[in-house]
Amino acid sequence: MREGKRLAVTPLLLCAAAVGVVVWAHKGADVSELGVLATGKLALRVREHLALCAVSTALAVAVAVPAGVAATRPGLRRLAPPLLFVANVGQSVPTIAVLALAFSVTGIGFRTAVIGLWAYSLLPVLRNTVAGLAGVDPAVVEAARGMGMSRAQVLRRVEFPLAWPVVVAGIRTAAVVNVGTAALATFVGAGGLGALITVGLDNQRDRILYTGAALTALLALAVDWAIAALAELGRSRR
Amino acid sequence: MIRYEAVTKRYGDGPPALDGLTLEVPAGETCVLVGPSGGGKTTALKMVNRLVEPTSGRVLIDGRDVASTDPVILRRGIGYVIQQVGLFPHLDVAANVATVPKLLGWDRDRIEARVDELLDLVGLEPGTYRHRRPEELSGGQRQRVGVARALAADPPILLMDEPFGAVDPVTRARLQDEFLRVQRTLRRTVVLVTHDIDEALRLGDRLAVLATGGRLEQYATPAEVLARPATAFVADFVGAGRTLRRLDLLTVADALVPGRTTGGGPSVAPAATLADAMAALLTSDGPSVPVVDGGSVLGEVTLDSIRAALRESQVDVEVDVEVDT
Ligand SMILES: Nc1ncnc2c1ncn2[C@@H]1O[C@H](COP(=O)(O)OP(=O)(O)O)[C@@H](O)[C@H]1O
Ligand SMILES: [Mg+2]
Repeated sequence: MREGKRLAVTPLLLCAAAVGVVVWAHKGADVSELGVLATGKLALRVREHLALCAVSTALAVAVAVPAGVAATRPGLRRLAPPLLFVANVGQSVPTIAVLALAFSVTGIGFRTAVIGLWAYSLLPVLRNTVAGLAGVDPAVVEAARGMGMSRAQVLRRVEFPLAWPVVVAGIRTAAVVNVGTAALATFVGAGGLGALITVGLDNQRDRILYTGAALTALLALAVDWAIAALAELGRSRR
Repeated sequence: MIRYEAVTKRYGDGPPALDGLTLEVPAGETCVLVGPSGGGKTTALKMVNRLVEPTSGRVLIDGRDVASTDPVILRRGIGYVIQQVGLFPHLDVAANVATVPKLLGWDRDRIEARVDELLDLVGLEPGTYRHRRPEELSGGQRQRVGVARALAADPPILLMDEPFGAVDPVTRARLQDEFLRVQRTLRRTVVLVTHDIDEALRLGDRLAVLATGGRLEQYATPAEVLARPATAFVADFVGAGRTLRRLDLLTVADALVPGRTTGGGPSVAPAATLADAMAALLTSDGPSVPVVDGGSVLGEVTLDSIRAALRESQVDVEVDVEVDT
């Protein structure tokens, strides 16, 4: 109930804050600043940023959730440690290095940034999928099997629903971290709110820098809210 | 009917968990696998629904090797109850009970009616409990739901692994009573695992006593196990209270001296156990207790007649054994 109320109030607060940031950015801005901070330009940067995060997080989920499921199947349990190791490497190498590596393969642009972000967000999703499934009470799984559910039915009807909150928490972490990390995408020419931050830094325009930083932070909160809301919706539908 | 034929199970290359088990559970009877922890009871039980596969030997249901049936199909026809219950925490009571009927593709109305019928059977008022979550139930209520869930598709066979092990003694006794009541009407073929000899004596038509290492020490009726333990292990496992326990299995009618009675004080009914009669005898002033059925006096029991009944039941068992072998 309290979670529900929080979910309802948060978007209003976030919208108000975004409007506040834009108003502040425009108030007393000079012509060159307005060239970067025009509402249309800001919207474009936000869209770029969101696209980077959405695509990379979706791809990470598409790879890491099935991998996590596979690594918790009996007989394939040995897969879990090496998989987690690879994902750990993906996360512990600095993002900028991952981006540089991807850059050397795919060159400049959206694709390179997505690859970098994707590599970076595999770990939280994989780790939580494995932890969520491993945390399901073995007695519940045994009861399900003993009643004649096939392995696929046990996974779909019992294990996955029970692991779901933990899996979502991993996706949420990955997506929110991605919003922050995507600010680096500008270095491989993929735009996003990071472009505002670099322009602001390079030209010593604090107004632009702060606007980029504030919008990035608000976007992170918005993404966090959106995933929580989707998860809540999915839960009450079941 | 369930039949084990020389069934052995080894996990890895350790000693056998179950060692050449051969026994037959007649249809409609309750067979209790009893013995100390690690005796291979759970292993033996899970071979019936193929959660465990034998290393050698085979398990037959109605003459058919279970290994020749697809395990998923097999299990839908066998009720399964475990100590930890294993209710699905994300589903309400009704959805839990409906699990197997749903797997079997029953239609909604039939499932709903069946769920209510089963909740009634296990003593949970459907209107109150249908939409409760497992976390909102007491241990005893959970166990009832577990039994209802196992019975949902009306399986001819029921496997129960320490079904009343996780509840307090008072609840356990009540669940045992209810099990006996339900089983008297349903007459399923039940294999029940317990390490508690009292529970085994109470619930079983036959007891299979398994020793550590998975050796079958004795397979017999409760009366026979008490009167004539086959090995020193069984005698030890049944324990010192074995004579007193036998009094639970005999009735006043077995020790009745018909005619008039000189006794006063407490009286007993002919259907009461000899343990009840013994208790009455100990609290009465005289050497006998009147046996009263309704309003009429049938006779009396005395210490001598109880002794004779015990001796006689032992002889009966010995005769049974000779006939068996
Ligand atoms: N899955 C398993 N892997 C290895 N050993 C097992 C397994 N299940 C049971 N055992 C061993 O087999 C023996 C019998 O176990 P079990 O059938 O559970 O006995 P009980 O139910 O009588 O306590 C024990 O020594 C136990 O450690
Ligand atoms: Mg056991």
